[in-house]
Amino acid sequence: MAGGPGSALSQAPRQTSAAPRTSGVLRAALAVARKELGESFRDRQTLLYTFVLPLCMYPAMFWVMVQGVLVVQGQKQARDVTIGVVAAAETAEAARDQLTLDEEGRGRIEVIALPPETSQESEVIAELIEAEEADALLFLPEARSDADPAALFFDSTSSQSETARGRVVSALEAWALELRQEAADARDIDPAALEPILVQTRKINPSKDEGALVLSLLLPMLLVVMCVLGAFFPAVDLTAGEKERQTAETTLLLPIPRLGLHLGKIFAVCATSMIAATLNLLALGLSAGHLLGQLAGLGDGAPKVELPLGALLAIAPLAALFAFFVSAALTGVASLAASFKEGQALLGPVQMLFMLPAMATNLPGMELTASTAWIPVVNVSLAFRGLLVGSASAGPLLICALSLTAAALLAIWFSVRLLSSEEVSLSSETIPMARLLRILRSR
Amino acid sequence: MTDSTSASAIRAEGLAKTFHDPQRGVVEAVKGVDLDCRKGEIFGLLGPNGAGKTTTLRMLSTILAPTSGRALIDGIDVAEDPLEVRRRLGFLSGSTGLYPRLTGRETLRYFGRLHGLEGDDLEAAIARAFDAFDLHAFGDGRCEALSTGQKQRVSIARAVLHDPPVLILDEPTTGLDIMASSDMIQFIDSRREAGTCVLFSTHILSEAERLCDRIGIVYDGRMLAGGSLDELRAITGKEWLEEIFRELVQRADAGEGAA
Repeated sequence: MAGGPGSALSQAPRQTSAAPRTSGVLRAALAVARKELGESFRDRQTLLYTFVLPLCMYPAMFWVMVQGVLVVQGQKQARDVTIGVVAAAETAEAARDQLTLDEEGRGRIEVIALPPETSQESEVIAELIEAEEADALLFLPEARSDADPAALFFDSTSSQSETARGRVVSALEAWALELRQEAADARDIDPAALEPILVQTRKINPSKDEGALVLSLLLPMLLVVMCVLGAFFPAVDLTAGEKERQTAETTLLLPIPRLGLHLGKIFAVCATSMIAATLNLLALGLSAGHLLGQLAGLGDGAPKVELPLGALLAIAPLAALFAFFVSAALTGVASLAASFKEGQALLGPVQMLFMLPAMATNLPGMELTASTAWIPVVNVSLAFRGLLVGSASAGPLLICALSLTAAALLAIWFSVRLLSSEEVSLSSETIPMARLLRILRSR
Repeated sequence: MTDSTSASAIRAEGLAKTFHDPQRGVVEAVKGVDLDCRKGEIFGLLGPNGAGKTTTLRMLSTILAPTSGRALIDGIDVAEDPLEVRRRLGFLSGSTGLYPRLTGRETLRYFGRLHGLEGDDLEAAIARAFDAFDLHAFGDGRCEALSTGQKQRVSIARAVLHDPPVLILDEPTTGLDIMASSDMIQFIDSRREAGTCVLFSTHILSEAERLCDRIGIVYDGRMLAGGSLDELRAITGKEWLEEIFRELVQRADAGEGAA
């Protein structure tokens, strides 16, 4: 065997296949992506984050939240409270009449008259509240507007005392209106004349814009977070998970170009990321409208939240570029790990690199400009916000697209470079980040 | 060994592989292996663990790129056209696992499609594989739920679905029970009649003696000797394969050249 006809081999013509190459890189990538997606959707964690979470969790979570808030509010209103009133006898009696007026759906207010010499020192009042003699104390030196102002003492750390405060303030406002009406009638003047400056505030924006503003604080952040979370498990599963399952060698034997194989994996991760982000945005958009509508009682002034289909369609191309960027980056980093667990540990800090800039875009004053449009992650979040509130302009959006395209291509190069490395694709140990640069530079 | 390259299904010359290991530095796993396997021949690579058998087979199957040297599979250069090599090759080892979330049928369909089989041809090939390897009872269940022997049968079916002219098997019986191991040996034997070139590695001497037309002894990254059992006897003057193996290894350790 050794020393065989080596020279014959060296001189042999270099034969290559004449068979037509039916598997182009793209075709191969799509075939791999289809198989990987099918397999991913049989993985419980991927299913949970891609489908179950947005389709079930958000509506359920919001429904529970709304019902919880409504129940708590109802319980607060139905709660009986005790108010200690410190005033002259006549005023205390008038206050009792006003405070104990029945209101439908509200608990009873019990008024106890306290001696006029009761101290206004906080410690004394705190002792009274702690002793549960009263939930709040109302000092009414005189029931007329030209007297000293009324003082209401309550414990802001006590839910009962806080409820009592709200009920007293509401009752006093009604009483004040009544007193003003009486005074105006006595002088035969318009009650409004007793207000030196009467301010009426009116919104000039439609309530729909307020809804868009609310969504602009939620959806851009969610777009980034769900793209990352949607890509997280498939990225680990298709790289480190493959090594752990000992199918990496099987995959490398596929009769397709290696570039197609690696791109196929990135496509599959990206598709999962986009599906997760889309379903989450739709679910949250619809759920948020329902939530705000219920909380505001659908009054005239309530923000009107509608699913921003126009903004969703407009952000789709940028979101797709962002999903490619995230998917390729996560796939590349996860490929360094030798097991699923180590892959998750490696991607933990990496996902924060995407989420923190997205959180920063909620800082006051952050908006899409020609400068911020160059910063990946920040730009897609700000662009989405701009599209939601209608402030995005073409120039920054174009820069945003260029920046995300460059970031996605760089991340794809990074990922393919790592996946193509024998050291990475077949290693039985997790590759330290310190060796990353050497692998990227190796031939 | 023939001089005719046209009769060679697997041919390697000076095949070498060097790794960079963080702890050990540069490691020469394979130090220039020459190999010639003909069509319809069963060739066994015999050697201890760490001899370089798996690395050699991985280079021949394009999983690893050779650091130097040249190899042809069915006349195709592994470095120049690895894609075409993979099309003409069936490869199986203990670490070529099955996709656990796919069924056996889905696995065969996936590989068949990528090998260019489509429509009725693909389904007919799958049906033949189901019959040949008796997959009917479990072939539509997910691979993760199969026993080791059942997985092995699906893996073999996957490796030969496209009827490759060359089959490379890396320690194919390792980890198998007696029945599965016996099935595998029968399968390898059957490929000879089909005209397939089978190159397989093993450290089980009885397997090599029973199956192989020719045997290559690999040690420390080198091919110490190769030929039929009679040729190896003539080279070493020993009767049994175990003695032959020991003699060649001792000569190599003593610094004597390979035969």
